[in-house]
Amino acid sequence: MVRYLAVRSVQAAAIVFLVATLTFVLLHLAPGDPVIASTESTLVRREVIEQQRRNFGLDRPIHVQYLRYLRNLSRGDLGYSFRERRSVWHAVRERIPNTLLLATAALLVMFGLGMLIGAVQAAVPRSRADDALSILTLAVYSMPVFWLGLMLMLVFGLGLGWFPVGGAVDQVLYPHMSLLGKVGDRAVHLFLPALTLGLVGAAVTARYQRAAMLDVIRQDFVRTARAKGLSERTVFLKHALRNALLPIVTLFGLTFPLLLSGAVLIESVFAWPGMGKFAVDALHGRDYNVVTGTAIIAAAMVVLGNLLADLLYRVVDPRTRESS
Amino acid sequence: MKRPNPHLLASVCAVVGISAACAPEPTCTGDWCGTAVVVAFTEADALLPPVVRNDVGQSIADLLFLKLADVGPELNTVDPSTFVPELAESWTFEDDRTITFTLHPEARWQDGTPVTADDVVFTYEVYRDSLVASNARPRILHIESVTARDSRTVVFRFPKPYAEQFFDAVNHLRIIPRHLLGTVPRADLVAHPFGRNPVGNGPFRFVQWRAGESIELVADSTFFLGRPGLRRIIWRVAGDPSTAVTQLLAGEADALNYIPPDAVERVAESEHLQVVDYPSTYYSYVAFNLRDPDDHSRPHPLFRDRSLRRALSMAVNREQLVQAVDGETGIVARGPVTPAFWIWDEEYELLPFDSAQARRQLTQVGWQDADGDGVLDRGGRRLAFDLLVPITSASRRRAAQVIQEQLKRLGVEVSINELDFGAFRERGEAHRFDMFFGSYGGDPSPATIAEVWTGDGSGNYGSYVNQTVDRLVRDALDARDVATARAKWRQAVNLIVQDAPAIWTSVVAMRAGVHQRFENVSLRGDNWAATLWEWRVPPDRQIDRDRFTITN
Repeated sequence: MVRYLAVRSVQAAAIVFLVATLTFVLLHLAPGDPVIASTESTLVRREVIEQQRRNFGLDRPIHVQYLRYLRNLSRGDLGYSFRERRSVWHAVRERIPNTLLLATAALLVMFGLGMLIGAVQAAVPRSRADDALSILTLAVYSMPVFWLGLMLMLVFGLGLGWFPVGGAVDQVLYPHMSLLGKVGDRAVHLFLPALTLGLVGAAVTARYQRAAMLDVIRQDFVRTARAKGLSERTVFLKHALRNALLPIVTLFGLTFPLLLSGAVLIESVFAWPGMGKFAVDALHGRDYNVVTGTAIIAAAMVVLGNLLADLLYRVVDPRTRESS
Repeated sequence: MKRPNPHLLASVCAVVGISAACAPEPTCTGDWCGTAVVVAFTEADALLPPVVRNDVGQSIADLLFLKLADVGPELNTVDPSTFVPELAESWTFEDDRTITFTLHPEARWQDGTPVTADDVVFTYEVYRDSLVASNARPRILHIESVTARDSRTVVFRFPKPYAEQFFDAVNHLRIIPRHLLGTVPRADLVAHPFGRNPVGNGPFRFVQWRAGESIELVADSTFFLGRPGLRRIIWRVAGDPSTAVTQLLAGEADALNYIPPDAVERVAESEHLQVVDYPSTYYSYVAFNLRDPDDHSRPHPLFRDRSLRRALSMAVNREQLVQAVDGETGIVARGPVTPAFWIWDEEYELLPFDSAQARRQLTQVGWQDADGDGVLDRGGRRLAFDLLVPITSASRRRAAQVIQEQLKRLGVEVSINELDFGAFRERGEAHRFDMFFGSYGGDPSPATIAEVWTGDGSGNYGSYVNQTVDRLVRDALDARDVATARAKWRQAVNLIVQDAPAIWTSVVAMRAGVHQRFENVSLRGDNWAATLWEWRVPPDRQIDRDRFTITN
């Protein structure tokens, strides 16, 4: 187990290093730089732009900048944000909780709703309800996530006025609310972005869950359980559902990168102040260190997510423990 | 658009029977309870004026830090009597090169320390320091020295008199505190924590900055120039124009200073919003590159020809273009100026829309469709070129399509090349384009004409050079009286327009969306937020947002 973890850690470090290098190089090769991108339509004299570039070290050759970046990175320093005028870590750490909150809520929607729908479909296969849910999940799965977000915003935000259309909290009242009020305020602001992000994933989960359940239900051990006289409910929930979790755990590992990339779009649509929106804004503003820093953090989160999924897999499936 | 109902929070609270605990009781009553939630496309970069680079940061910083005096609503940059006193109570010209300012005796930093002449001298030194690399630095290099005569008297000296010397003395410097920043190494100022937690001297105090979300300011009720009409301003970050408009329509924001043209109708139809037009210092233009984009030492194979540039300018129906992009209220640009400039003159000699004349001119210089492919050619070269457009500007993208269509009728092939802003700006700086769809403005001074339309201008991406224009601009800048300056500017602008180094398309229509409950709403062309502190909400129009007591 220890050796396994050590190998995976080395692999993880290599992946993160590769992501950092690729992001750094590609960004620096792209046209534009943080100084020019920050000038908007205001004209700034050429000599001022050159001075600002010198102040930020952007006038140095790319390999010098890269080596300096690696040196800082080895000390755990993600560099300086040209737009925020402070360290990237300080800027990112204020946004990570928002992204994790959104991703967690979306995961709940994705797996809670998805597994429920899949299980219901498997319980009544080839029925009208199964067909209807199949069509519905396929339709949701086919929708671009940003479009779904815009539609939900249009209906439930602008049209019905039930939910806020942007932000993570009520900017006016939040600081003056009680703890309970703050929780409620966060919840209503979270609802639409999390639902959007979770719904598409829930459609995928439902299809996996349905297929897995139908596979398991045909297995001998399920027939044996029924032959033992167990109730259908016990057979379904205790024997079939538990064994149908394996593909879902695999899906969990694969989902994390999708959630992060989806969060980039959804955070922009709903002005959610998370890491994804920060990275997009930084990309437009050519804030090199922020883009590279968020890419490193996202890569680390994805690697950890996959590691977690592997470990979960070993917990759920005893065969993987034995084989290792 | 349906007006939003209160959010579900109230319902959630009611369900669990703790509604009183969810939100504080509104307690503020009377004349000073207004809260304005302003939505911006982007987030401020910093709030320390010398190192602020983006427009949002500048707008917010201007509510925290005052100038000595500010340009008046008519944006006259040459007549000191039209300027509005801020930190300076009064000023006198000791001679034509020396201006003496007397500071207001009640001016205070928000930590209680008086604002002194030393602060003004310190501010000038910081702005002038190349290590700080302030965007405004080049604009104050005309000032020879700034010295403190006593704690309330500060003296500006100039090497020579010129029309805008008072403007240069007061407009670019937002006074910053020496007692809080004097010991900070200049190179460290750009990233100093003060930039995210400032102590100012203006009508509002800084309260908090929620990264990626909002910046909150609260009114200084003891502000020496009078109590601000609003009690609180919250600047929230939308991220992009469509999200900003959505937040405005949903009632989650009260003001947006620029409504994209395609959203104006929706805002106007909203029950709770008003559309406020205000003067624009921004104009859009399509610059011709007069140098070869591949070899800058050579002239451009097409656009070196003044007749061709003039013909293309005359082939563009700008009335129709403006109508298509900005609607009924759009204004055609008459050159590198807008009606908001004090030098504006209805008599500018505009190149007219005349497609027949344009066609004749093209034929005269040898452009004909010899091979019958619908595109004019001469000596084997087709009249085809690229037009560079920033993907971030919906109105310029739309206008580019109109230009493409109009020139196609003349037999000219335009390929639109849409790039993200960073790439677009870099291609402009490197002169790597045929035509460049730019937009420029934000400064009320005609001195900015020199930046784009003279030989050594930093924004002269098209490399337009006319020695006579350069001389006229220099004369206008050096003029000691307003009449001479105005006459020189008129000659320079007319000559630039006749040379057609660009097709000036439109004056960018500046329209704000503002909640109906605000009164005394005015927006200034060069800095829309400069008068925000005078907005107010009458007691009978206040909503819950206005009434909550601030605990900070």
